[in-house]
Amino acid sequence: MDDLLIIAVRGIGLGSIYALVGISFNVVFNASGILNFAQGNMLVLGGLFAFLVLPLAPDVTQWMIFLPLAAVALAALMAVQGGITLLPLRSSVEQHSWLITTLAASVIIGAVLLLYQGAVQQSVHSPFANFSLAGTRVPATYAASVLLALFWYVALRLFHTKLLVGLAISAIAQDMDAARAAGIRVRRLQIGAFAISGLVVGSAGFVAAPMMAIANDSGLAYVMNGFVAAVVGGLGSNLGALVGGALVGVVSMYAAFEYGGEFQNAVSLGLLVGVLMLRPQGLFGRPAARRV
Amino acid sequence: MMRNSFGPVALLGTFLAIGTATAQVAPLKLGIFFELTGAASYPAESGRLGVDLAIDEINKSGGIAGRTIQPFIADNQTDPTVAVGEIKRLVLQEKVDAVIGPLVSQDALAALPITTEAKLPELGSTGSELITPQVGPYYFSVLINAESQAKAMIGQAVAALGAKSAAVLSDSGAQAKTFVEALKKEMAARGMKLTGAQEYQYRATDMSPQLLALKRGAPDTLFLFSSTGEDVGNALKGLGELGWKVKVTGNYTVATFAPSAIAIAGADAFKDVTGLSYTAFTYCSPSDLPKPFGDFLTRVRAFQPDRAAKLSLPYAATLYDNVYLLKAAIEGSGGKTDGPTIAAWIEANAKDFKGVLQNLSPSPATHFLVGPDALSAVYPDRILPGGMQQRFGCN
Repeated sequence: MDDLLIIAVRGIGLGSIYALVGISFNVVFNASGILNFAQGNMLVLGGLFAFLVLPLAPDVTQWMIFLPLAAVALAALMAVQGGITLLPLRSSVEQHSWLITTLAASVIIGAVLLLYQGAVQQSVHSPFANFSLAGTRVPATYAASVLLALFWYVALRLFHTKLLVGLAISAIAQDMDAARAAGIRVRRLQIGAFAISGLVVGSAGFVAAPMMAIANDSGLAYVMNGFVAAVVGGLGSNLGALVGGALVGVVSMYAAFEYGGEFQNAVSLGLLVGVLMLRPQGLFGRPAARRV
Repeated sequence: MMRNSFGPVALLGTFLAIGTATAQVAPLKLGIFFELTGAASYPAESGRLGVDLAIDEINKSGGIAGRTIQPFIADNQTDPTVAVGEIKRLVLQEKVDAVIGPLVSQDALAALPITTEAKLPELGSTGSELITPQVGPYYFSVLINAESQAKAMIGQAVAALGAKSAAVLSDSGAQAKTFVEALKKEMAARGMKLTGAQEYQYRATDMSPQLLALKRGAPDTLFLFSSTGEDVGNALKGLGELGWKVKVTGNYTVATFAPSAIAIAGADAFKDVTGLSYTAFTYCSPSDLPKPFGDFLTRVRAFQPDRAAKLSLPYAATLYDNVYLLKAAIEGSGGKTDGPTIAAWIEANAKDFKGVLQNLSPSPATHFLVGPDALSAVYPDRILPGGMQQRFGCN
C-alpha cells in the first residue's frame, strides 16, 4: 500500500511537468490553432537557465529571484518563435506550415544545446529539502511543480475571464474570423499567446530542473508526454491538461512498477489511443464543429 | 638533338616517379564511426580523444606501414537508422580502408552487413553477444562483453557479499538485454535466485517505480547495468530517496563513468557500490600504479589538456588501443588492409599485443578482445585523477 502511495505522489509530481507542457500547448493552440512542438526543448531551456544561474547549492532567495527571470526569458524567446511561425501564414488554422516551423525550432534548440554543452546531461540541485512519505524521501521539486501547475491554471483562468486581453484571446479561440471582424488584432495577440506560453514553460523548466534531464535530446520525451496529457485531457482545456498530466504520470509509473519499465512509455501512448477511441474530444474537451 | 629527345623522357620519368611515390604514400583512410551525438555521446567523445591521440602519434612517427592516417568522421547519432546511412557513406563514398567504432551494439548490428560485405576490418567497443564472428567476421570489440561482465559481477557478488539472491536493473539497450539473459543463465548455473528484473529508458530521471518493484523481492544485492554515468547517478539517487540500503554490484559503466554519477547522486551514494573495470586501469596501493595507463595519462593530458580534463580517460585508452592494434595488424600482415587478413592476424597474434590494455584474448570463436580474466571489481568513488580506481578489497 505504501508503495502505491509513493507511486501516486511521484506520478502526480512527474505528471505536473507534463501538465505544464500541456497547458502551454493549450495557450498557443487556443489563440492560433497551432501545436507548438518546440515546447519540450523550451522546457529544457528553462532547466538550462536554472543550471546556468543557480550555484551548486542554491538558497531559496536566489531561486525566487531567478524564477521570474527564467519565465520572462523564455517568454521573449517564444514570442520571437511565434512571430517567425506566424509570419508566413495568412491563416494559422487553414495553413499548416507551422508544423514544420515548430519542429524546426525544436531541432535548432537541440542542435544549439549540443554545440553549447555537448551531449552531457546537466543537473541542478533544489534549494528545498526533500519531504518524507511512507518512510521514503520525495524531492520537494515534485510538490513545487504541482503548485506551479495549479498556479498557472488559476492565473490563466483569471486572465481569460477578467482581463480584456485575455477575453480577446478567448474570443479568437471561439471564432477567429469574428474576432478579426470585431477589430481584435489577432496576429499581435497570437504572438502574445506564444509569450504567455513561454512564461508557463520557462517557469516549469526552472522549477522542475532538479528532476529533469537537461540535455540536447531530452525534449522529445517531455513534448510527447505533454502532448499526450493535453490530448487526453481535451486539447484546449487547461483543467484537462492538469488531469491528463497527472493521469499520464501516475499510469506510466504504475505500469513500470507493476509490469516493468519497458511498458512505461507504451502505456501512456496506449492511454492516448484509448481515450481518443472512447472520447475523441478528450476528458474535458468539447466536440468541435468543422466547416466543410 | 640529344637534349631535345632526353627532355620528354626525363619529364615522363619524373611524372612516373611522382606517380609511384604518390601511390606508395597514399594515406590510409580510417573511418571514425562514433555516436558523437545522442545518448552515448559522452563515451563517444572520450573514445574520440583516444583515437585522435593515437592518430596524431602514429602520423608523427611515420604512419601505418608508411601510410599516414586520414580520418573520416561519421556521427551515427546513437541511431541505427542513421548508422546505416553513415557507414554507407564511409564505405561507398569515402572508400575507407578500415573503421574504428561504433560504441553501441544496436549501431554495430545495423552497420555490420555493410562493412562485412566490403570486407573491411572494424574495431569497435560494443558488448552485445549477438555480435558474433559469424555476424561480423572482421569486427572486433574492445569492450568487455555482456557475458564476461555478468560472470564477473556474479563472481563479485558471491565472493565478496555472499549473495544468494539478486535483482537486476538495466537500461533498455541491446547490450543490456544480452547482459540480462547472460546473467539469468549464469545465476541459474550457480544456484542464485533472481528476485526481479527491471529496465529503464535512457535519461530516465525517476526510477522509483522500478526500484520499488525490485525492493519487494528483498534481494541480497542489486545488479546495476547501465550505459551512461548519468543513468547510474539517477539510479543511485533513487535508491537514496527510497531509503533502500541494498548493496549494488555495478557493471563497467558504474565504475568508468562514476564522476558523472557522483555529480547527480553525490559521493555518499557510492557507499555500498562496486563497479567493474579493466584491471589495467586499477590499483591496490597508490604507490603502485599501472605504468602503461599512467604513461597514457601523461601523453593524453599533454595532447589536449582541456578535453582530457573532462572526459573519461580509461575509456579513451581502450579506443586508443584499437587504433594501435589495427596498426600492428596491418604492419604484421605486410601492409594488407583487407578484413580477412586483418581478422586472421588479430585472432592469432593479439595476445602478444602490448598496449595500455594487455592480455587480450580474441580467438576464431570470439572477437571480444578482453575476457573476464582481465577484469576487477573496484570502488567507483575511490578514483585518482585520470580515472584509476582502487580494486575491491584494497585499502
